[in-house]
Amino acid sequence: MTVTDPTMVAGPRKAPPLALGTALWRLLRDIVLLAVAMLGVSWVFREILANATSAVNVEESFTTVIADTMIFTLPFALVIVTALRSRSLLKNRRGLIIGITMLVALAVQTISVGQQALTQTGAYGTQTSVQFTTEQADEGVLVTAIEAGGAAEQAGILVGDVITAIRRDVVDKAALDTAILQSDDGAVLRFRLLRDGEEQQIPVTVTSISGVNTTSIYMGYVALFVTAILALAIPFGWIPYVLLISFLMPLFLGYAWLIIATFSQRTEGLLPVDTTGNFGGLTLDNWSFLSGQMGARNQLDIWGVTLNSAMIAVVMTVIVLLVASMAGYALSRMNFPGRRGFLSMTLILHSFPAVTLLIPIFIVLQNIGHIPLIGDLFGFNTIGGVALIMVAFELPLGIWLMKGFFDGISWDMERSAMIDGATRWRTFFEIILPQIRPGLLALGIFSFLGGWNTYLIPATFMVGTRTSNLPVLIRDLTGEMQPVNWNQVAAVGLYQLIPILLLFVFAQEYLLNIYAGGTKGSS
Amino acid sequence: MQVDIQNLTKKFGNVVAVDSLNLDIKSGEFVAFLGPSGCGKTTTLLMVAGIYKPTDGIMRFGDVVVNQLQPRERNIGMVFQSYALYPHMTAYSNIAYPLKLKGISKNEQNIRVQRVADVMGIGHLLDRRPSQLSGGQQQRVALGRALVKEPDLLLFDEPLSNLDARLRLTMRGEIKHLQRDLGITSIYVTHDQIEALTMADRIAVMNQGKLEAFDTPEGLYERPKTLFIAGFVGNPPMNFVDVEVSQNGAGPVATNNDLKTHFTIDQVEKVLAHKGPVTMGIRPEDIVVDDGSDIRGEVYLVEPLGRDDLIDVRIGDTRMLALSDPKLKIQPGDTVGLRFNPERLQFYDPQTNQSLVW
Ligand SMILES: Nc1ncnc2c1ncn2[C@@H]1O[C@H](COP(=O)(O)OP(=O)(O)OP(=O)(O)O)[C@@H](O)[C@H]1O
Ligand SMILES: [Mg+2]
Repeated sequence: MTVTDPTMVAGPRKAPPLALGTALWRLLRDIVLLAVAMLGVSWVFREILANATSAVNVEESFTTVIADTMIFTLPFALVIVTALRSRSLLKNRRGLIIGITMLVALAVQTISVGQQALTQTGAYGTQTSVQFTTEQADEGVLVTAIEAGGAAEQAGILVGDVITAIRRDVVDKAALDTAILQSDDGAVLRFRLLRDGEEQQIPVTVTSISGVNTTSIYMGYVALFVTAILALAIPFGWIPYVLLISFLMPLFLGYAWLIIATFSQRTEGLLPVDTTGNFGGLTLDNWSFLSGQMGARNQLDIWGVTLNSAMIAVVMTVIVLLVASMAGYALSRMNFPGRRGFLSMTLILHSFPAVTLLIPIFIVLQNIGHIPLIGDLFGFNTIGGVALIMVAFELPLGIWLMKGFFDGISWDMERSAMIDGATRWRTFFEIILPQIRPGLLALGIFSFLGGWNTYLIPATFMVGTRTSNLPVLIRDLTGEMQPVNWNQVAAVGLYQLIPILLLFVFAQEYLLNIYAGGTKGSS
Repeated sequence: MQVDIQNLTKKFGNVVAVDSLNLDIKSGEFVAFLGPSGCGKTTTLLMVAGIYKPTDGIMRFGDVVVNQLQPRERNIGMVFQSYALYPHMTAYSNIAYPLKLKGISKNEQNIRVQRVADVMGIGHLLDRRPSQLSGGQQQRVALGRALVKEPDLLLFDEPLSNLDARLRLTMRGEIKHLQRDLGITSIYVTHDQIEALTMADRIAVMNQGKLEAFDTPEGLYERPKTLFIAGFVGNPPMNFVDVEVSQNGAGPVATNNDLKTHFTIDQVEKVLAHKGPVTMGIRPEDIVVDDGSDIRGEVYLVEPLGRDDLIDVRIGDTRMLALSDPKLKIQPGDTVGLRFNPERLQFYDPQTNQSLVW
C-alpha cells in the first residue's frame, strides 16, 4: 500500500470568505428566526408561568422579572448565535453586526412592550387595590388618605379609621397590603376597623386598576444598550459562557429572589420594599420561626420539626445503604432460587407511584401499630412508621443501583481476595464496598434528600400531630385559613434548603465523579 | 507439592465446561494449560483454586483431598489476566494484604513485602496506587502479591496477554526463572503456544473441556498423538492432505490426485497396515522449495515473516503452507516445486483422528 495518495496528505482547506451580501442575508435570516423564537419563549414564559404561579398566589412581579430577563438576554443571544454562525464576519465588521443586532433587539423590545400593552400584562399589567394609603399605627393600620371616587371611598371608609382585622384575622400593614394585592378583582374584603374608638365592620370591594409601569419599560431599553455595548467587548472564547449564563439567568434570579424575599417585608421584583412600596423594608421577622414564633399568634416547635425531618432522612439513609448494598451484592453475585423473580419484582415495585399505595400502607401501619413495643415505634402516626415506608419506597431503586455498581466490578477482584485468604464477608467489606464508594455516596445522598424532602408520606401518615416534618410545615403555612405570608414561607423553604446546599458543596467532588461515569482509581 | 486431579468435571447447566479431566502434576513442576478459547482452561484453574465447586471428580494437594476446602485454606497464589489489583490500596497494601489476612505482624509484613518487592524490582513503586502504575508494573505487583505468602501452588491465568510483545518476552523469562528458583508447583493457563512451549515442563492441551494430551513440549511438537494436537501446536500450523498409502518399487509412497511423495519414517509398517485413506501431515518447515521436485504448484500468497517467507502454494486442489528463503524472491503467481522431508511426515486415521504412528 502506498501513502502518497494526494487526497490524504492535503491539509484541510480554508473555506473561501463569503460575499458580504450572502453573509448579511444569512445574518438577517438568523436574527429573524431567533427573534421569533425568543419572542415565543418569553411569551410562553410569561403566560404559562404567570398562570401557573397565580394559582398558588406568588407575586406576579417575580414572573415578570423572569420574563423580562428573557427579553434582556435576547440581544446577547443574538450576537452570540450570529457570531457562532459567521465568525469571520463578526471579526471584520463587528460594529455593523452589533448595530444590526441592536436594531433588531430594539424592535423586539418594542414589539414586546406593545404586546404587553395589548394584553394588559407585564408593564401594563393590572393591580388590585382599594385606593387608599395607610400606615402602621399602634392599634392597627391607620388610613391616611383616600382616593376620590375610589373603592375605599365608595365603601365609606374615612381618613383616620384604624383597620385591625380582615374578618377575624388580625392584620398589620404588611398583611393587609398582601391581602388586598392577592384578592381578585371584585372580591369583597370585610374590614374590621376602629372609628372614634368604636368597632365597625365595613365590606370593601376590591377593584383592579391599571397603571403603566414605565420603569420596567425604560429598564428594558437601557438593558438593551448595555448588552449591546457588552457584546462589543465579548472575546470569542467567552461566547459559550455568555450563552450559558443567559439561559441560566432565570434560575439564578429565582434563587436571588428566594434569599432576598426572606429578609424583606415585601418584594417588588428583586427589590426589597416596605409596606408602602418604597425601597427598604429589610427585616428578620420572616426568620422568627427559628425562635419558635410563627407570625403574631402561633407557637411552633421548629426544632422538633427539624429533628423529625433529620430523623427520617438519617434512618432512611442508613437502612437503605445497608440493605441495598447487601441485597444488590447478592443479586449481582449469587445464584439462588427466585433471583430473577426478585429482580423483576423490585423493578415493578419501583414503578408503583406512592399515591396508589397509600391505603394499603395505611392498613399495614395500623396493623403494625397493634404489635406491642414495635407498634409504638413504627406504627401509624409515628416517625418510625414514616421512615419505614420511605425506606420501602427507596429500596427497589437502591437495590438496582447497587446491583449495577456491583456488576461493574470484575469477578477477578473478589476471587483474588478470596484466594489471598479473605472470607466472603471480609471481601465484601474490605475489597468490594470501597470500590463502589461513589455509588454508595450517590445512593446515600439520594436517600437523604428523599427523606429530608418527603411530603406525601408524613402528610398522610402523621395526622393530628403538631410536629411533622419541614415540608409538611410549609404546606401548613400556606393553608387556606389565613392570609399567607409568602416571605415567611420562603424563609422556611430556604431553611429547609440549607442542609441540601451544604451536602452539595461538600459532596460535589464525589457527585461529579459519579456523573462523569468513572469509578475513581479503577485500573 | 503434588497436585493430583482425577475425573474432574464441571457443568454450567447444560454446558460441560470441563469433562472428566485427569492430571498428575509433580512437585515443583511447571504445567501449562493450552487450548483454544472456551475450552475450559480458566474453569479448571478456578476449580483448583477453590472458587468453583467441581460437579464431579477429586482434587488432591499432596495427600489431602481439597474438594471441600475454601480458597483461603488451600495456600495458593494466583495471578489474573486483569491483574485484579485492589484499586483503593497502594501497591504495598496490595502485596501485604494476604499477610494481613494471615494475621502476620506489621513488622514481619514489612520485611516480607520489601523482600518480594526487591525480587520483582518494584521497591520504589510501593506507595503508588494501581492506577498510577504501568501495565508491566501492575503485573509485577500482582505477581508479588501471589508470591508473598509463599504459596504451595501458583496459578496463572493468561498473565501476560495484556502486555506488549517485548514486555511479554521479558516477563516470560522472569516468571520462569522465579518459578524455578523457588521451586513452586505452578499451573499456567495460556492460549499462546509459544509461551507454553518455552516455559512449561509439561503442557496439558485441552479441547472442548477434554484433555487432548499431557506431554512435554518436545513430545507434543515431535510426536503429536492426535490430529487436533498436530494442528494446534506449531505456528505456522501443520499442513494436512488426504492421501492413499501404498508400497511401490522405490518404497512406501503416499499419493493423491495432486501429489505423490515417498516417506521413510520408522513406523512405516503401521501406516501401510492401515486400510483406506489416511490424513498426512507435514509442517511448513519440513517442506523445501526445490524446482527439481515433481510436486509443483502456483504461489498464491507470500507473507514475509522476517527470517523466512511463508508461502501459500496451491497444488491442484491442495493447499500447502511452506517456508522459503526470502532471497529466492518468490512472487505470487510463480510456479514452484516443493519437496517434503520424507522422515518428518505424520499420518492420522481420518475416522478416529488418532495418529497411526505414535
Ligand atoms: N460462569 C459460567 N456460567 C456458564 N458457563 C460458563 C461459565 N464460565 C465458563 N463457562 C463456559 O465454560 C466454557 C469454558 O470456559 P473457560 O472460561 O474455562 O474457557 P477458557 O479456556 O478459559 O477460555 P479463554 O481462553 O477464552 O479464557 C465456555 O464455553 C464458557 O462459555
Ligand atoms: Mg480463560
